Amino acid sequence: MTHDLNRRTLLKAALGSAGLGALGSLPAFAQDARVRLYWWGSKERADRTLKAVSLYQERNPGVKIDGETLAWGDYWPRLATQAAGRNAPDLIQMDYRYVAEYARRGALLPLDEFVGKSLDIGDFDKASLDSCKVDGKLYGINIGNNSNALIYNKAAFQKAGVPEPIDVTWDKFFELAAAVTKAHNGEYFGTSDASAEEVAFENWLRQRGKALYTEDGKLGLDEKDASDWFAMWAKAREAKACPPADLQALDKNNIETNLLTQGRAACAFNHSNQYVGYQVLNKNPLGITMYPQGAGPNPGHYLKPSMMWSIYARSKVAEPAVKFANFTVKDVDGAKLLGVERGVPASPKVREAVSAELDAQGKLVVDFISHVTPKVGPIPPAPPKGAGEIQTMLRRISEQVGFGRLSTADGGKQYVSEAQAILSRA
Amino acid sequence: MTTTAQIPLTITEPEKRSKRRGGLSRTLVSYSFLLPWLIGFLGLTLGPTLASLYLSFTNFDLLQDPQFIGTANYQRIITNDVKFWHSMQVTFTYVILAVPLKLAFALGLAMVLNRGIAGLPLYRALFYLPSLLGASVAIAVLWRQLFAKDGLANVALGLFGIQGPSWISDPNYSLYTLVLLSVWQFGSPMIIFLAGLRQIPPDVYEAANIDGANKVQQFLKITLPLLTPVVFFNGIVQTIDAFKAFTPAFIISEGTGGPIDSTLFYTLYLYQEGFAYFRMGYASALAWILLIIIACFTAFSFLTSRYWVHYND
Repeated sequence: MTHDLNRRTLLKAALGSAGLGALGSLPAFAQDARVRLYWWGSKERADRTLKAVSLYQERNPGVKIDGETLAWGDYWPRLATQAAGRNAPDLIQMDYRYVAEYARRGALLPLDEFVGKSLDIGDFDKASLDSCKVDGKLYGINIGNNSNALIYNKAAFQKAGVPEPIDVTWDKFFELAAAVTKAHNGEYFGTSDASAEEVAFENWLRQRGKALYTEDGKLGLDEKDASDWFAMWAKAREAKACPPADLQALDKNNIETNLLTQGRAACAFNHSNQYVGYQVLNKNPLGITMYPQGAGPNPGHYLKPSMMWSIYARSKVAEPAVKFANFTVKDVDGAKLLGVERGVPASPKVREAVSAELDAQGKLVVDFISHVTPKVGPIPPAPPKGAGEIQTMLRRISEQVGFGRLSTADGGKQYVSEAQAILSRA
Repeated sequence: MTTTAQIPLTITEPEKRSKRRGGLSRTLVSYSFLLPWLIGFLGLTLGPTLASLYLSFTNFDLLQDPQFIGTANYQRIITNDVKFWHSMQVTFTYVILAVPLKLAFALGLAMVLNRGIAGLPLYRALFYLPSLLGASVAIAVLWRQLFAKDGLANVALGLFGIQGPSWISDPNYSLYTLVLLSVWQFGSPMIIFLAGLRQIPPDVYEAANIDGANKVQQFLKITLPLLTPVVFFNGIVQTIDAFKAFTPAFIISEGTGGPIDSTLFYTLYLYQEGFAYFRMGYASALAWILLIIIACFTAFSFLTSRYWVHYND
């Protein structure tokens, strides 16, 4: 019996301490507003974001902001899963590609009622506001604007005695790139192979008056367009302007594995805000310029919100979340901490204040946006459902062509037929 | 298998008595100890499994409520999905290569270790280590480095004047690097083989020696037949594991199954459909097809086992 009693006492004690443990894990200040903040991006972005968070918490006792960050590829599956579990983060870094999908499915909060109150974005220009609207309602707060940008290793061009690829045509670009490869004895390539990069493909399509998608969500290009694109890169591969397919396949579509970062190629096709992230990972000074241009007058570039803040529809702390978002885009101190790593601020006042204190790299990005702004076309419509799958498919077909398993003509055919199948299914 | 057979399964008399006397409280105690596992099993395994059966008959994009669409998902998978068949092919290639190679390797090493060499526990631990680490993200990342264009594998080949390709990013080789990764994790079948080898009485070999049987004959006529229960067990466990393989392919291809879908394992395709393209209903149907395939394989193994598995009793 005593044995039993002892055991029971022990059990009780164990349960008791477990209960105490549970009490201990309750938030110390129950009245605190806890905002879950969620974003994708590089380590540089995380550092900047967390700095802004601590400054905000310092100034606003009673608000606690918990940050969660993931790489782009893992970010969306996690967000979708959390949204399905009705447990998405309160403040979500949103992309132009997805805002319509999430908004139309009722996962995001319309922000119009906050404008003029806790959200002071009256001085944003119309384009910066409209690009965050879905069906007439505001679902995002523009964090910064960006545009397509060619990011390149200045030293690689200088060492090769080749002029930098500033505002050149595609033909000239590949000529320069091939010269860089040659000067580096074929061990280092003039440019990475961007045939799998949808941003580059879209820019090039716009130059020939086409688009990835039409206003009503249909395919905006034909087989010939896609074939020509693959053929252009096949020619560059042959001329050794860009690396062979097995090298290019090491690129997993992020800054860390891009061949520019890996020290194997001199150019990366990307967005202007990513310049900051690239420079952090590169020893050599990088340059930033527009994508190579076509012969025609159509601009390939456009300005878009590089990302926006959205609020989860079921958030219980929408007001504090909006206030923190406002802090990062309208409060000069908050915006300065983010710099231009998420794009150039949309508010003219903030842009000016932020620009004044930028380092040389940040200034380059701002100058680039000023340089591009007069040359841009309108922003394309938000992509239709299934666009994410088509983006992955472009990568696969570009690899099939690169490894010689598909001709460039068949690559074009396959792109169109698979894309149409995906769109009709989605 | 052979080891559990030695545990007495009948309840002895005193225990029976105490069970009658202690009755309810004893049962409650057992259940309270079982409870954490039971909650986990019901809540985290059985519940979601049944939910996924329902979802497999729906169209579910995670954000909106699922809509019932009957067997449309299954119909599409069977009749109109190139990627399904492709990922099947990749997975079966992987299973057919990785499982026998791994088992052969594990058995070979178990036999070497069974010779009673000095420092056996150390070797056993060392050989087991890859199995502990194998499915981890860190090892997949390491593998990516080893078999990249300028990875260690190519440095080693370079010593012999061979210029290797970029193994992991060349669709001709990428799947085989994953097979190799799987074979490298031979530790757990090896430990089980080792235990099985220990069970074979040494006098059988002595008798064979006296009769003049050579090593090969001894292996084929004694070791292998007496080891068949262990081979059977390891075979099933490893095959199921191989069908379910996900992490290495996911990490090495960064979730794409690339290059050119050459490492698009079935589970990876399932993941993409569900989590990257938000077709959770379709992904659930894919998951159930995998479950059926694994169940068929296991049933088939059990049915045929009586023709080739010899229990030593």
